[in-house]
This record gives sequence, C-alpha cells and structure tokens, in this order.
Amino acid sequence: MPALRELSIRGTLVHMLQDGAGSPLLFLHGAGGGGRWLDFQTQLAKAFSVYSPSHPGHGGSPAAEWIEHVSDLAFHYLDLLDALELERAHLVGASFGGWIAAEIATMASHRLASLVLIDPVGIRVDGWIYPFLFAMDIPEIVTTVFHNPMAALALAPPDQSAETLALQYRQGTAIARVAWNPHLYDPLLRRRLGRIATPTLVCWGAHDRLAPLAPCGETWAREIPGARLRVFADSGHVPHLEEPDAVATAVREFCRLHGGLR
Amino acid sequence: MKFYYFHLMPYIIDHDEPSSWVTLSNRHYDPALGHTLYNQYLDQLEAAERLGWDGLCVNEHHQNCYGTMPSPNVMAAMLVRRTSRAKIAILGNGLPLRENPLRIAEEIAMLDVASGGRVISGFVRGISAEYFSTAVNPTHSRERFYEAAELILRAWTEEGPFPFDGRYYRYPYVNPWPRPLQKPHPPVWCPSQGSSETVEWAAKRRFPYLMVFTPITRIAQIYGEYREACERHGYQASRYQLTVNVPIVVAENDAKARALAEKHVMWVFNVGLRMHPPFWRPPGYMTEASLRRLLANPPKPPSELGFEEADREGYLIYGSPATVRDKLRVFSDELKAGILCSGMTGPSHEQTLEMMQLFAEQVMPHFREDARVDETVGVGR
Repeated sequence: MPALRELSIRGTLVHMLQDGAGSPLLFLHGAGGGGRWLDFQTQLAKAFSVYSPSHPGHGGSPAAEWIEHVSDLAFHYLDLLDALELERAHLVGASFGGWIAAEIATMASHRLASLVLIDPVGIRVDGWIYPFLFAMDIPEIVTTVFHNPMAALALAPPDQSAETLALQYRQGTAIARVAWNPHLYDPLLRRRLGRIATPTLVCWGAHDRLAPLAPCGETWAREIPGARLRVFADSGHVPHLEEPDAVATAVREFCRLHGGLR
Repeated sequence: MKFYYFHLMPYIIDHDEPSSWVTLSNRHYDPALGHTLYNQYLDQLEAAERLGWDGLCVNEHHQNCYGTMPSPNVMAAMLVRRTSRAKIAILGNGLPLRENPLRIAEEIAMLDVASGGRVISGFVRGISAEYFSTAVNPTHSRERFYEAAELILRAWTEEGPFPFDGRYYRYPYVNPWPRPLQKPHPPVWCPSQGSSETVEWAAKRRFPYLMVFTPITRIAQIYGEYREACERHGYQASRYQLTVNVPIVVAENDAKARALAEKHVMWVFNVGLRMHPPFWRPPGYMTEASLRRLLANPPKPPSELGFEEADREGYLIYGSPATVRDKLRVFSDELKAGILCSGMTGPSHEQTLEMMQLFAEQVMPHFREDARVDETVGVGR
C-alpha cells in the first residue's frame, strides 16, 4: 500500500502517494486522475521509488489560484524535486501530465535521469485540432479517450454525491485554467522540445482519438532529439490504464538501458 | 411600477438537434427571413414607446436561435434614432467576453450622447454557453467581469488620459471620446442568475438587480439577499433596484392566453434554452460555493420544464387583462419589484402588437401610481 504524504511546496499543499524502492521516479497523472494508485504505479513500484503527487485542484491537493500557465506547474514540480532533495529522477507523464513533464524537460533536463511521455498533449500539431474536451459529456469522453472502455472504470467516480461532483468540478477548473484556450497546448512548447537533453521514450496508444499517433505521436517523436517511439496496439489515449503491465515493462526496460540512474 | 419592453429577438424554429446553443448549425438561419424578423422586432420595440412603455431592452447572446442579438449595441443604435422618450436598456454587454472592454465604454457613451442620456448599461458575464462560442476562458470570467467593470466606470468618470494596468486588461492611455452625457455615468444594471457574489457586488454599488426567467420563490429569496446586502452597505434598496423579467401573454380571456403561452412561451424554455448539458456548466464559471448551492437544490433544465410546472412556479404570466393584473400584483405588492422588464409573444407580428396594445390599455394603467417618478435618480450609480 502506498503511503500518503502531505507536503507544503512553497506554500502550496500537495497530496502525494509514494511506494516502492529503487531509483526515484516522479509520475504526473492526466486530467481527471490524481489521488489514485493504479496497476501502473504498482508495477513501477517494483523497480522504482515512485512519487505520485496530485496536481493542484486534483485528488486531495487543493486548488492553487496562482497557477496561470502550464509552466507554473512545471516549476511547481521542480520545487517538489527540491523539497524531496532529489537531485535527479526519472520522469513519467501521461496526457496532461506528459505536457507538464515536457515543459519540465525543456527547462531542466539536467534534473532528469530519463523522460517517458505517454500520449502527451501540449503542442500544436500541424494537421490536427484536439477535439474540445470541455464540451464532452461522460460517454463522449470515454469514447474519445479509451480504446478499451473497461479501463475507464478505474477512473469512474465512486458516487454522485455533492462532494464527488465538487471535486470533478475543481479538477475540470484546474485544467481549464491552463488549457481552455489555446485548447490543450502551449504555442511556445513545440519549438522548445529541441532543448530536451535526456533520454526520452514516447509511448502512444495506436487508437488514440484525442491525439492520434499520426500526426501527434509522430510529431513528438520527431521534435525531441533522439526520442524513441513505442506504440501500444490495444490502447487509446491512456495506454498506462489500458495496458498497464506492457507500459510499465516498457518504462522499466527503457530506464534500465538508457536512463542516467539505475 | 415602471414597464420596460424586453426583446430577445428569437429565431423561432423547431429542430431536432441536441442544443439550440453553440452547435446548432447556422444553416438553419435564413437571412431573408432574418431581415423580416429584425424589422418586425424593431417595429415592436418602437411601438412599445408609443404605447407607453418606459424603457426598451436589448441583450447579448451568441450562436443560438434563442436570441439573435450578438451585438446589443447595434440594436440600441437603431432604437436611439427611432425613439425619443423611452430609456434604452442594454441588458447587457458581456464584459468578460470582450478582449477590449474599453470599446464598451466608448459605444455606450456614443449611444448616451446621441440619445440625449437615455441609455441604461447592463453589465453581464454572459451565460455559460457564451464561453464556448467566444472561447474566452470561463475560469477567468468573474475576475475579468470585475476588472472590465472597473475600467469602464473609471473611463466614464475620470478625466483622461490615465493608464490602466489590470491582470487581464492593460492600457497606457484610457481617454475615450465621447464621454457619456448622464452624470456621473449611465445607470448600470446587473442582470444575473442569483450568484451570491454578484448580489453583493451589485448591492454595494446601488446597481439594480434583474432576475431573468426565474421561479418566483427564487426571485423572493434573491431579492431578500439583495435587500440585506444593501442594508449592510448602509442604505435601503429603492424599489427600482429590484427588477424582474417574466414573459407575459395577455388575451381576451384566460383560455386563449393559456393556449398562446403553452405554445409560444414554452418554446423559449423547451427549445430556445435546450442545451447540450456541458454547455450549462463550463469549469470555473461559478465558484465552488455557488456550485455547492446549486447542487443542494438542482434546478430542472428549462428544456424539461412542463407548462403546468412553469405556471405553478411563476415562470410566466398569462391570462385576461384582469388575471394578468392580479398576477402582476404579486410582483408589485409582495415582491415589491419596481420595474417589470417583459416581452410579449404572440403568434404573429400583428397579434403581438395587438397583445401589446391590450396590455398597455388594460393592465399598465393600473400600476401607474409612480408615473411621474424618474426611476433612474440615485439608482444604478
């Protein structure tokens, strides 16, 4: 069972789940995630010391009004690495968390032993406009995000209580604050990806309908110097939820062979 | 009581699409029919002045068939030159929806000067769906509203030029020509849906509060909160700060009025306000406190409102002139609303004009004890 830690990072309260032993790995969850320890993290914790914080406004972390841009979240997690006294760590980010992870890598690759991006959003891709997530009801979100809808059950809300609905609203608000317009990207990020100087694995679900492999995954793999692209045949936008064992294995192998830390 | 004639300028159609807002394809819009409708609607507003209404109201909505006035200031400009007495109430401009809200200060000042000081300026955030149509970030809505309002009020009242350096709006030179005619500025009204934050904001500034298409018990509750807030700020609310918009249908007898209301007023709720559910609740548009208040007593979507329920809850007024008078007494005597901002909906342009005449002759005169009072003195500024 992971331990729940509460930290104050330069005045911002963070709820973080932590488990496992080995070299440190920071996992950044996607929109609507947070506060959960799923199969993917369990698998990673067999090889790494996994740190899994909830973004401000997600899970048990309260909203942080000062966050206006995704780069604010990137600095927030660099502050977290400082607070944890982790000079270097493996960084894994999925979807929205992949966007934050990429921003971090453009700023401070020297703090990263490796970078794994799982179907990230965050860049403008020629020939693709992300479907407008905030206008989707739950069934539309499930069909857009998941190739295997059964995997969505892991993120299903426990009930429809006011508390649960308020949390969902707070999470949506935290994402919308930084991702409503431009929708799901930072216009400055794509050019900056060329700065990333840490071994990078780009994981992609073959059936991603939010950010399809072609052109999105291919663009990411092309823009990050030396990045490897690994496609997961039975996944949509969230392979770490749809094929958790396969993705965790790929992360472990990549970090063992290429990562700057054992 | 004062009477303002409120027009939505709807494009009345039946359609099977899931939303009348944002995504209802504009292939449904026939500009030739639109030409006829705009002119009939403007004729109705001009007729309202002749028939004795005190004010004429226009409003802003985007990408829908419910109300086809994306720019209320354009409609107000047409009314300015075709009327001479009535107030022209723009209810209102969606402040956060503008990238350059100084433009609102300029346009309202133009209208105020050209009309000889007849303009009332509504400040609104725009309803939830507008944030999908304009792509403005709804999580910034409230702060942009307050900041734009401050900018506009300062632009109207302080000698320019001065710099303005806000979080969302920044100008090295604020110095609009023209300045408004009314002093210190045109009255400001706040049409709203009853969020506690807006009630407080409006009460503090003596800005009238307008409840639109709201059940009568909720109006009573929000009026109570508004009056309390006014007292907290050290004054008693004038009755002209309490304004209501309730659709009205009047006919020779109750049965005829009911038939018209069932068809035409219910179109507004059941079709005009049909909305894909996510459009009702964009993230961050309301505070978490307001959300929790809403969840404690969730309102029914207007598209699911039945006529019996709408009637029972006081969403509309219909009947013979005598019945309408009785129902209006609840608003004037019990809720003590000072201004009624309502439109009439008939089955045709001609029948709407007849309905307006019936109302003007057989209802309005019974509520005119304050005929000589200027409702804007000390109110809205």
